[in-house]
Amino acid sequence: MANTTLGSATKRRTDTRPAATDERTDLARMRRLRKPKPQVGRHVLLAVLALFTLFPVLLVISTTLKTPEDVRVNPFGFFSTISPQNIIDAWTVGRFSDYLLNSILLTVPSTILVVVFSTMAGYTFARLPFRGRTPLFYLVVLGLLVPFFTYMIPLYFQLRSMGLLDTLLGAVLLLTSGGLSFGTFFMRAFFSDLPVELEQAARVDGASELQIFLRVMLPLARSGMGALTVFTFLGNWNNFLIPLLYLPGGDFRPLTSGLYMFTGGRSLDIGPLAAGTLITILPIIVLFIVLQRQVTQGFLSGAVKG
Amino acid sequence: MTTASLPAAAAATTPERRRRGSQGPVNSSPPVTRRAQTRLGLILVAPVIVMTVVFFVFPLANALYYSVVDFDGIDPNPQFVGLANFQEMFLDPEVWHALGNNLIWIIIGTAAPLVIGLLVSVLLWTTRAGTSPYRVIFFLPYVLPGVAIGIVWGWIYDPVSGWLNQALTVVGLGDLARGWLGDPNLALYAVLATAVWASTGFVIVILLSALRNVDIELVDAARIDGANPAQRLWYVILPQIMPVFLMVLTLTLVGGFSVFDIIFIMTGGGPAGATNTIGTYAYSQAFELSRIGYGTTLALLITVLSVPVAVFLNRLQRRLSLDGSGA
Repeated sequence: MANTTLGSATKRRTDTRPAATDERTDLARMRRLRKPKPQVGRHVLLAVLALFTLFPVLLVISTTLKTPEDVRVNPFGFFSTISPQNIIDAWTVGRFSDYLLNSILLTVPSTILVVVFSTMAGYTFARLPFRGRTPLFYLVVLGLLVPFFTYMIPLYFQLRSMGLLDTLLGAVLLLTSGGLSFGTFFMRAFFSDLPVELEQAARVDGASELQIFLRVMLPLARSGMGALTVFTFLGNWNNFLIPLLYLPGGDFRPLTSGLYMFTGGRSLDIGPLAAGTLITILPIIVLFIVLQRQVTQGFLSGAVKG
Repeated sequence: MTTASLPAAAAATTPERRRRGSQGPVNSSPPVTRRAQTRLGLILVAPVIVMTVVFFVFPLANALYYSVVDFDGIDPNPQFVGLANFQEMFLDPEVWHALGNNLIWIIIGTAAPLVIGLLVSVLLWTTRAGTSPYRVIFFLPYVLPGVAIGIVWGWIYDPVSGWLNQALTVVGLGDLARGWLGDPNLALYAVLATAVWASTGFVIVILLSALRNVDIELVDAARIDGANPAQRLWYVILPQIMPVFLMVLTLTLVGGFSVFDIIFIMTGGGPAGATNTIGTYAYSQAFELSRIGYGTTLALLITVLSVPVAVFLNRLQRRLSLDGSGA
């Protein structure tokens, strides 16, 4: 966080603060003493909003847990019966076990590649000047300005002629290249904020440029790489268009496009559909709750940087 | 969702650039170091450049080529048609209809999350204790995949047993109950409401982090001077978070041009094209009707429209940031 603009702004503030601290805390205390009214109304309002926000997720869980009969009679009412049948159906008949495996096979390698390549390039663009570097950087960052739409159609025919259409490798490469613009931009910003002195000291001590990168700078970039990992993982896990367009055969279909295909044609299978939806979002929700700080920080610094 | 957020993040790049010229560690380095840096730099940057050229520059150049030919996806030597695709685009009433939908999407899809997000974030900011669970909950929809969101909201809008219609019946507004996604006049707004639900949390969390830098004493001073809550929000708080506010505006606005997932999933552009945006229309032309050239031309239109807006808003945001208001 300290690397982000927001973070440094916060730091600046706290740094300038001590001079006036006494007055301020006094003021704050007085304010609190003056108005000790409990904020019940606020909390009620917030709780209602939170319930509204969570409602669709609860609906998925509730529908998943019902027996198939209950779903048929009253598809969207809250569950009064409990049965694992929907999850079993989705997992086996609905092929969501395959989809989950494919999601992992697509997301994990592409995320690793994005983080590794972006870190390498980000370091270069921040710390290793050479002629022609700036235009190269603009070329990479241009990918952030141009919507994927613009070139998704030609990309389809390009992949077909490269023999990469409907292959795991092709989709992984696309997910990777889709994340590189942002990743490079993000890691460059991260490396730019590290102090120059470290690098100079290592150089004076006789470290090679490669050693400086691997031994001195890389360990300092760990938190940035962590945020980028979470951010990229979420984006690639949720990616819908790339598997939809470039994995049309269905052998490597991940959860997102699998779920979409499942809705087509048998929209009456609400129970297994709910279970499939739950299987799709559960890893995301768990990841989000466990790493919520990194997730929001990743999005924040990604969005706010600059 | 995520893809939509990226362009603006990129658009927000620039200030870095100007710092670079003055403080680059380069100038002082001896030639040996510079050569070593060049060598390592070229090696480290190679994978990204190769990937970018193969999977971005090349298809982008191809997009320009496709827009001037009549390509059906099969013929290896498609016929050159000059600007005919562009001409057809301007004369195609469905394009204008889709652009209108994009415009509605951009206006409501930007304004609603910003207004709701601002109000909720200020509510959270001024609440003393126990707000962190709310932050997590509000942000959650933003990380969910669009497919899942589309499916569940489809159930909520279900004409027979959907929650929305049942809720309307319970409160005595049963007459309003209808098939929300099947009504050509309402479907777009129904999908929009879903998108607002999905994206407001992001606005809340970003604005909340900006609010942490707001000077509370100024707000207190305004209160003592008799400013009501609305005035305090408008004249005291909002100016202080303006750069971040504009950044969020850029993100949601630019995302509005290339909206695709949620509409494609919930209505597929239907009923009868009523919810088509340029994105879904381009998709159906290219992949359902095999009109590759025309579909690509439509997709180019999205870029041509969205890039200048992104650049303009980014400039504005940078100017405000340089005025020194904290972000």
